[in-house]
Amino acid sequence: MRFILVDKIHDLDPGRRITASKILPASEELFRDHFPGFPVVPGVLLTEMMAQAAGRCLDAEGTHPGRAMLGKINGASFRDWVKPDQEIVLHATISQNRPAFATANCFAEVAGKKVCSAELFFVFAPHEQFASNQEDQILKAYWETHPDMQSKWKR
Amino acid sequence: MTQDEAIEWVAKVFESSHGQLTPDTHRDNVPAWDSLGVLTLMASLDSEFGIVLTDDDVQAIKTVGDILDIMQRHGKLI
Repeated sequence: MRFILVDKIHDLDPGRRITASKILPASEELFRDHFPGFPVVPGVLLTEMMAQAAGRCLDAEGTHPGRAMLGKINGASFRDWVKPDQEIVLHATISQNRPAFATANCFAEVAGKKVCSAELFFVFAPHEQFASNQEDQILKAYWETHPDMQSKWKR
Repeated sequence: MTQDEAIEWVAKVFESSHGQLTPDTHRDNVPAWDSLGVLTLMASLDSEFGIVLTDDDVQAIKTVGDILDIMQRHGKLI
């Protein structure tokens, strides 16, 4: 599987909040093992989904010295099973946003019910460490459908 | 906050046991006091006490006592 764990951004206020979503199809091989006969989305992937959504919220702002990278997971909790093919809606609100670090309060919900939450701490890795020809396709798709936002934020 | 409570708070930030830290404890002797630990300290001081560390503060902090001094300077210690 690829490790892009956000399918679509629904709402974005760069550096402040984001709502995004992801569906993990039942055809993903991981469900053969997690768990046999009882396929559920692993909590680590739910956490990564929230992190990728929050990270895009920070990266979209374009003011940090690098790309947002998950540094710490505080107080994660998992409240309900998430099954394959369910739409997981990801919410992140940035509670601290400083040049060197950021904190995001995140939760995920399925059919309007909260399934997990975590406070995620981000640091920033220099842009030079990453391939220069790679554009974030998820953010790009959002900018393309929100040209007014793009002109305001995208650098 | 008393000094003892502040040391307990610092221990929590660096994921240490309270009894392991004293004002003289040097950052080199606290395993979690690495680059991520410094950022965690900055974020925690900011969110819990409204203390925003300057670059000079960050460079100057070498011991637990240095953190206590900053908290004292900002009126957070009794």
